[in-house]
Amino acid sequence: MLGRGVKRKWSCLEEAEVVSEAAEDKQQHEDEDGQDGLLDPSRSDMSRLQQRQLVLGLCLEKLQRYQAGVELSLRRSVLLINTLRQIQEEMRSDGVGSCDVHPDSCLLRDDFREDVTVTCPGCSEGESPPELPSQEANGSDQQKPPAAVSDAVNAMGYLGDLALDDIFEDIDTSMYETSDLPSAWASGSLWPLSVSLWPDEDVKLRPQSHSTAGSLQSCLMDLNELDHIMEILVKS
Amino acid sequence: MQNIFKWNLPQIYTAGSLIHQQTDIISTVEFNHTGELLATGDKGGRVVIFQQEPESKNQPQCRGEYNVYSTFQSHEPEFDYLKSLEIEEKINKIRWLPQKNAAQFLLSTNDKTIKLWKISERDKRPEGYNLKEEDGRYRDPNTVTTLRVPIFRPMDLMVEASPRRVFANAHTYHINSIAVNSDYETYLSADDLRINLWHLEITDRSFNIVDIKPANMEELTEVITAAEFHPNQCNTFVYSSSKGTIRMCDMRASALCDKHAKMFEEPEDPNNRSFFSEIISSISDVKFSHSGRYMMTRDYLSVKIWDLNMETRPVETYQVHEYLRSKLCSLYENDCIFDKFECCWNGNDSVVMTGSYNNFFRMFDRGYRQDVTLEASRENSKPRSVLKPRKVSTGGKRKKDEISVDSLDFNKKILHTAWHPLDNIIAVATTNNLYIFQEKLN
Repeated sequence: MLGRGVKRKWSCLEEAEVVSEAAEDKQQHEDEDGQDGLLDPSRSDMSRLQQRQLVLGLCLEKLQRYQAGVELSLRRSVLLINTLRQIQEEMRSDGVGSCDVHPDSCLLRDDFREDVTVTCPGCSEGESPPELPSQEANGSDQQKPPAAVSDAVNAMGYLGDLALDDIFEDIDTSMYETSDLPSAWASGSLWPLSVSLWPDEDVKLRPQSHSTAGSLQSCLMDLNELDHIMEILVKS
Repeated sequence: MQNIFKWNLPQIYTAGSLIHQQTDIISTVEFNHTGELLATGDKGGRVVIFQQEPESKNQPQCRGEYNVYSTFQSHEPEFDYLKSLEIEEKINKIRWLPQKNAAQFLLSTNDKTIKLWKISERDKRPEGYNLKEEDGRYRDPNTVTTLRVPIFRPMDLMVEASPRRVFANAHTYHINSIAVNSDYETYLSADDLRINLWHLEITDRSFNIVDIKPANMEELTEVITAAEFHPNQCNTFVYSSSKGTIRMCDMRASALCDKHAKMFEEPEDPNNRSFFSEIISSISDVKFSHSGRYMMTRDYLSVKIWDLNMETRPVETYQVHEYLRSKLCSLYENDCIFDKFECCWNGNDSVVMTGSYNNFFRMFDRGYRQDVTLEASRENSKPRSVLKPRKVSTGGKRKKDEISVDSLDFNKKILHTAWHPLDNIIAVATTNNLYIFQEKLN
């Protein structure tokens, strides 16, 4: 992860006006190597809210690195997801009602669904990290999945929990026409596909039979915010 | 009296391949049980072993220097075709076996495969074959008129390393630890979610003794970060987690040690709670004391000593670089907060050592309650001097010779350190240099 020189995306930080000053400082470092030997002094002066916003953005950015083909260790991704969850919890308990909260929480909390219902934190059960379409289908695929996110998921080391037997398990791959997925995501019609960063080799797609249509109405999301978050994840 | 303040100028070795003129990153450092041999592993899959020269009679005050004894390629990069992933050849850990005969044995591991290497010396070779010339060509049988017995003649010392066992295909996730049992017959290997027990003679089978993988991977919140066997109880081992807990398990209790016998965890200080609390509590190394009474853990900011009889909190806590606590956000941003530092005990468990940034490393004397910060750098002043203690200034006023926190170089990190089991000799690895310091004797 050191010195990769991956340019940070500004979009995740520009949204937060409170950190605009910090963003200017960051601009100076943007062209430098991925890892600076020195500490950014502006980081120490932020309020908790500013810091939370920054850390949230960084979390997403670091998790997004999967797409760049950089393999994150399981330990690191677990720590990042836990941090993300903690921030989400705090944002929720702070009663932050603005729309930019919900998409993130939805990212974390939605169970993977084959159908494309929209849910919100209060609606889905339990806490589950977001899921990507799992890659067990690889066993039957001959070529590498073309989608950016699938590539990223592919690149994850712990994804390779495949025991030989599992390759031949009967898995419903109809959801996995990966060539369709990116365009579907771009149009927002598959939102909110939750993003799992460590799909299990045993994970089969379980059609979610329960629905929360009733509460859907009460949890409408700002699609602009969703697209924005999606953009970060899919790097489209 | 333990004096942790006087160290001679170091011997310095640069890791890498002389053939390809490339430097490499040292990824593990380990003394053998007598301290005569020091092994390093690097990112290129190479193992370099140093041997201490016998003390010279002319200079009885100086302990012997360490010179290169053997170099070999332990692991090669591999490609997992199924997952389209490269398997790094980087050596994650080396562990020596106690010596039983003339040869030395060590275990080295990368992310997926553990290998048992035999290092043996050859200083004689047979000469006088009947059917072969000295260069190996076969003689024309018609020219053989007499019969003789081949004899051994001395030759220049040759050190050979040969792989005797390959323990493969037992880990789905990345191996972070290997530990040899005190029975000297078995050893464990730990990855992010599982720990396996092996017999040194058997490569096609291992026993899974810990499995923390949840049925639903979405529920995963914790991984295994390190594991070690107790130094003299062959049934006891510990493993640490990314949440700052250490679990001690007894293999006599059941075949699968998912239920811990003891769990060591210090309650979090509510004053220090932040977004980074969990990340900095993640334990990067766990080491039993030589006595077996204590164990030491390293998390991002501190070293903790635990009494094995008390699970509720450590008996001693040493701050390695507390001045970084206010900088955690920046360290999170540049990924330094995920660095995994190791720690080690000295031979009589009175001093512990660990690394830090800016090529600093720290020693804590448990008995005398002293600590010192030293630097591993080539720029040392006059010969015959001792290493100068360093200091990081935290307040507003920076004294002369102090370095301010904002000037620290976070690219220069000391993650791997080792202490000779019997003497005050330490090996400290910077990114690609190995420093060997010996105590200054008067």
